[in-house]
Amino acid sequence: MSNQLLVLALLALPLAGFALTAAFGRLLMPRAWLIAVPAVILAWAVGMVLVYRTLSGQLGDGFAFTLYTWIPAGSFRVDVNFAVDNLTAALLIVVTTIGMLVHVYSIGYMAHDPGKWRFFAYLNFFMFSMLLLVLAGNYLLLFMAWELVGLSSYLLIGFWYQRRSAALAAKKAFLVNRVGDVGFSIGIWALWTTVGSLNFSDVFRVIPEKLAAGQLQPWMVTGIVLLLFCGAVGKSAQFPLHVWLPDAMEGPTPVSALIHAATMVNAGVYMVARSSPLFSLSSSAMVVVAAIGIFTALLAASIAFTQTDIKRVLAYSTLSQLGYMFAALGVGAYAAAIFHLMTHGFFKGLLFLDSGSVIHGVHDEQDMNRMGGLWRKMPITHATMLVGSLAIAGIPPLAGFFSKDEILGASFRNGFYVVWLIGVVVAGMTAFYMFRLMGKTFYGPSHVDPDVHPHEAPPSMTVPLILLAIPAALLGLAIGWPPEAGLVHRWLDPIFAPAEQTLGLHPEAFQVFGIDGVLVLVSVTLATAGLIVAVRLFGVRLPGRDVEPRPTIVEAGTARLRPLYVASYHKWWFDDVYHGLFFVIGGAVAQGAWWFDSHIIDGVVNGVGAVTTLAGRELRRIQTGRVQNYALGIALGLLVMAAGFLVATTR
Amino acid sequence: MLPLVSLTIFTPLVGALLIAFVPRDRPQLTRWVAFATTLVTLGWSLVMLAGFSTSASGFQFTEDVPWIPFFGIRYQVGVDGISLILIVLTTLLTAISVLASFRPIQDRVKEYMITFLVLEIGMVGVFAALDLFLFYVFWEVVLVPMYLIIGIWGGANRIYATIKFMLYTLVGSLLMLVGILATAFEYHASTGVWSFAYQDLAGFHFSPALQVFAFVTFFLAFAIKVPMFPFHTWLPDAHVEAPTAGSVILAGVLLKLGGYGFIRYSLPLYPDAAHTFAPAIIALSVIAIIYGAVVAVVQPDFKKLVAYSSVSHMGFVTLGIFVFQSQAMQGAVFQMVNHGLITGALFLCVGVIYERTHDRRFANLGGLAGRLPLYATTLGFFMLASAGLPGLSGFVGEFLVLIGTFAVAPLVAGIAAIVMVLGATYLFYMFQQVVFVDLSDFLKGLGDHLHDMAPIEIATLVPLAALVLLLGLFPAPVLDMIQGPVSGVLDHVSHGVALGFLP
Repeated sequence: MSNQLLVLALLALPLAGFALTAAFGRLLMPRAWLIAVPAVILAWAVGMVLVYRTLSGQLGDGFAFTLYTWIPAGSFRVDVNFAVDNLTAALLIVVTTIGMLVHVYSIGYMAHDPGKWRFFAYLNFFMFSMLLLVLAGNYLLLFMAWELVGLSSYLLIGFWYQRRSAALAAKKAFLVNRVGDVGFSIGIWALWTTVGSLNFSDVFRVIPEKLAAGQLQPWMVTGIVLLLFCGAVGKSAQFPLHVWLPDAMEGPTPVSALIHAATMVNAGVYMVARSSPLFSLSSSAMVVVAAIGIFTALLAASIAFTQTDIKRVLAYSTLSQLGYMFAALGVGAYAAAIFHLMTHGFFKGLLFLDSGSVIHGVHDEQDMNRMGGLWRKMPITHATMLVGSLAIAGIPPLAGFFSKDEILGASFRNGFYVVWLIGVVVAGMTAFYMFRLMGKTFYGPSHVDPDVHPHEAPPSMTVPLILLAIPAALLGLAIGWPPEAGLVHRWLDPIFAPAEQTLGLHPEAFQVFGIDGVLVLVSVTLATAGLIVAVRLFGVRLPGRDVEPRPTIVEAGTARLRPLYVASYHKWWFDDVYHGLFFVIGGAVAQGAWWFDSHIIDGVVNGVGAVTTLAGRELRRIQTGRVQNYALGIALGLLVMAAGFLVATTR
Repeated sequence: MLPLVSLTIFTPLVGALLIAFVPRDRPQLTRWVAFATTLVTLGWSLVMLAGFSTSASGFQFTEDVPWIPFFGIRYQVGVDGISLILIVLTTLLTAISVLASFRPIQDRVKEYMITFLVLEIGMVGVFAALDLFLFYVFWEVVLVPMYLIIGIWGGANRIYATIKFMLYTLVGSLLMLVGILATAFEYHASTGVWSFAYQDLAGFHFSPALQVFAFVTFFLAFAIKVPMFPFHTWLPDAHVEAPTAGSVILAGVLLKLGGYGFIRYSLPLYPDAAHTFAPAIIALSVIAIIYGAVVAVVQPDFKKLVAYSSVSHMGFVTLGIFVFQSQAMQGAVFQMVNHGLITGALFLCVGVIYERTHDRRFANLGGLAGRLPLYATTLGFFMLASAGLPGLSGFVGEFLVLIGTFAVAPLVAGIAAIVMVLGATYLFYMFQQVVFVDLSDFLKGLGDHLHDMAPIEIATLVPLAALVLLLGLFPAPVLDMIQGPVSGVLDHVSHGVALGFLP
C-alpha cells in the first residue's frame, strides 16, 4: 500500500468503526465491540507498518500530502493535509498500541454496561480524532482534531450521564479546555496574519526568516508562541487550567487510561514539540513553559500525597508527569520530553487499567480506605501495578527511570538548576505517593466491605495488563540506552536539530563517571528514599520481605504537618476559588446583565410605547373628520419635508 | 429561457391561490398543497443554483420590466452569489417550516398556510430585488404575515409580542422609505433621471449629507432586523410567543434580511457614511456578541436561550461586514447561512420538546438522553454546531470573521474570542439541563406522551444536519459563490472615506 493510502486507512478504520457502531451498535448487543475492536486492531497494524516505514528511514524526512482544499476564502486557504515524520511515528506507537489494548480491555470492563455500544462508538471516534491530531499537516486541522478529542473526552467523561457529577465533570472539562483554546485560536490567527499560511512547513520556514530580517519583532514571536501554549496548558491540564483532569475521572476507567493519561493529555506536549522551531526563537517563552511545567509537577505531586480516591491519585500523578514533559520542552530537551511522553503513556496507561481492575474487583469502590490486602486476591493486577509503580518512581532499569533522568540531566546541563532541583524533589515525592497507593490498596489489613469478595479480572482485562507491563518495564532500556544516544534520540534528534541549533545547545556525550552519573545517583537516591519511607509507613508484601503498615506514625506525621495536609487535601483550594470567581461572581454578572436587558433596555422600549399610547389617545382629537383640516395637515407636512430636503441637499 | 427568479418569487402565490380553493374541512390536503408548493419553489431555486456561474461577474438570471415609468421604478430582479445562497436558504427553510407545522398547527390551517406562502414571496423578493423601491415593497410584504403568524398562532402573551415586533420593524422600515426616497431625489437632482436601480445607485457619489442621512435610516431598519444591540429586545419576546415554524423563519431568514441589506445597500450606496459609522457599529457588534452570550447563560427558558444566542451569533455577521475585510465579510455571509441552518434547527428541537411537554423551562426538563436518545443525539449535534465545533459549518463562518477581523483589528477579535468560552457555557449548560441526569418528575408524569422523534420531525431535521456537516467539511462551493460579490462590495467601500462628523 502506498504511504498516503496507509494514512487514510489509519483514519478511516476508526471512523468507520464509529459510524457503524453508532448506527448498528444496539443490534450487536451484547457484543457491541464486534466492529469497534477489530477496527482498532486493524488500525494498529496499519499504524505499525507506517511507523516502521518512517522510522527505518525509508521515507527520508517523512512525507506530506494534501487531500483537498478545506477552506478557500481569497488569500486565506487551508487544506486538509497530512504530514508524517519521526515525531508523528513516535506518537503513533503510543496512540495505536495503547488504544488497541484499552479497546480489548474494555470488552471485559464494560461487559455489564447496557450502554456499551455508545461507549465503543465514542472510543472509536476518539481514536479517529487523536490520529487526526497526530497526522495533521497544518495548525487549523490540528485545531479541529484538538476540538474533536475534546468532544470525545466530553462524551466519555459524561458517559454515565445519569450521574450529576459525571455530567458536571464533562462540562467542566470542555469549558476549561475552551479557555485555553481561546489563546490557541488567537495564536493561529496571528500565525496566519504573519505568515499567510498555516501549514507547519511554511510557518517554520517563514517566521525565523522574518525574525532574522527584522520584519517581525521578537516580542511578537514570544506573544504568538505563548498564545499557542495557552492551548497546550488547557489540553495537557497544566497550572492554572489543571482543575478539569481530576474531575475527568468520573468517566469509565478505560477512558481515564487512554484519554486522560496516555494520549489526549499529551496533545499539548506534542503541539509544543511540533512547534519547537517557533518556541526556540523566544527564550523568555521557553522559560515560561519550563516554569509552568515544573510548578505543575510540584503542585500536583503535593496534592497526590493525601487523596484517597485511587483514580484521583493517578490523575494528579498524570498532571505531575506532564509537568515534567513541559519542563523538558522549556529547557530545550525536546527529545527527552517525547521520550517521557512515550514511557509515561505505557506505564500510566498500565497503572490506570490496573486501578480499573482493582475497582472492578471490589465492585466499583474507588476509595483506597476501603481497600487493602488485595495482593493475594488479584495477583496479576498486583504484579503489573507494582511494575508500573516502580517505573513511574524512576527505579532503574524500568522505563520511567531513563526518560525522567534525561529530563533532569538536561535541565541541569542547560543551566536550569531550579528546574533540576524541584525535579529531583518531585521524583522522591512520586515514589512516595505511588507506594502509599500500593500500600493502601494491596498491602496492609483489608478494609473491603465484607459483602464484597474481591476477585481477579477476566483474561480480556489481564492480558492487556501483561502486555502493557512489558513496555512499562523495558521500553526505556529498549529505546533509551545508551543514555542520550538511544534509538529515541536517533529518531527524534533530526526533528529537533533546528530548534536546538537556534538555542545554541551542543549535545555532549553522556559522562557516566562525570556530572551525569552524579545527577543520576542523586535522583535515584531520592526516589529510593521516597519509596522506602512509603513502604515503611504503608507496608509491602514481597516474597521474602513483609513490612507491616504503621498507621500511628502516619497519623502523628499528619497531625504535625496539619496545615500542609489540609492544603493538600483541599487541592490548594483551586476549585473553590474558581467556583467563586466564575460561578458565583460570573453568575451574578450575568444575572445583572439580564436584569439590565429586561428592565433598562426593554424599559426604555416599553416607556416609548406608553408615551405613544398616551399620545395616540390625546391626538385622537385632531381626527375631526373635516377634509379641510386634513388637507391643511398634508400641506404643512409637505412643506416641512420639502424644506428639510432643501436644507439637506444645498449644504 | 425561463424567468427563474420570478418563478421562485411567485410560485408561492400560485400555491396560496390554490389553497384558497381547498375546502375548509380538508386540512390535510391544504397542508400537502402548501408543502408541495414550497418544494416546487425550492426546486426553482435549486435550478438557479445549478445554472449559476461562479466565474461570471455581476447579476445573473436578471429580469427587467418597467413598473412605474414616471419615477423610473422597475421590476428588476436577479441574483449574485450572496443573494442566491440566501434565497436557497429561504426556500429550504420555508419548506421545512411548512412540514414542521403539520402537527402543531391544528387551528385555521388554511389561513396559516396562505400566510406562510405570502411570507415566502416577500422574503425571496427582498433577496432578489435589484430596484430599491421594489426592495422596499418586498420588505414590507414580509412584515404583515409574520405579524399574523405570531399574533394568531402564537403563545399566551402574543399580543404584546406582536405589537412590539410590529412597531419596532415598522419604525425602521418607514424611516428607510424616507431614506430611499431621499436617495432617489438626489440621484434625480444630479443626473436629471429618475432611477431606483441598484446598478445606477451603487457607486454613485452621493453627497456627504445624503449619505449620512440615508445611511442612518437604512441602519435603523437593518439593525432592528438583525437585531443589533440595543435594538434586540423585540426578538426574545417574538421568539417565545411565535409558533415553532415562525421562530424558524424568524431566526433563519428574517434576521438575515438585515445583514443582507447592509451588504447590498448600505455599503455600496453610502461608502463614506459606512466608513464614518463603522467603528461604532463594530463596537455594537462586539457588545452584542459578548452581551448576548452572557444573558443567554442565565436564561431559565429553552427558547429564550436560543433567542439570545441569536443576538450573539448575529453579532458576528455585523462585525464581519463592518471591518471591511475580505475574509471577514465572506465569513459574515457564511455565518448568515450557518445561523439559518443551525438556529433554525435548534428552534425545531425546542418545538419537538414543547409539543410533548408544553413547557420549556429547564427546571422541568432533564434526563431525556435515556428516554429520547434520537432527540438527544440530534440536539447534541446542533448544540455542537452552534458552539462552533470545527468540522461543522458554524466554525467556518465564525473563524473567517474572526481571522479577518484579527488582520485589521486584533484587539476587537481578541475580545470577541471570549465568546468561544461563553457560547460553550450556555450551550453545554442547556444540553446538560435538557438531556443529562435522571428524568425529571414532571417528565415522568407525561408517560407515553414523551416519545422519541416522529418521522415527520426527523424529516425536518435531517436535511439541516446533513447541510451543517457538509458545509463544515466542504465549504468551498459556497465560499466560491460569495467571494466575487464580496470583493465587489469591498471595492465600492474602498472608495469611501470617513467623514468629519458633521458635514
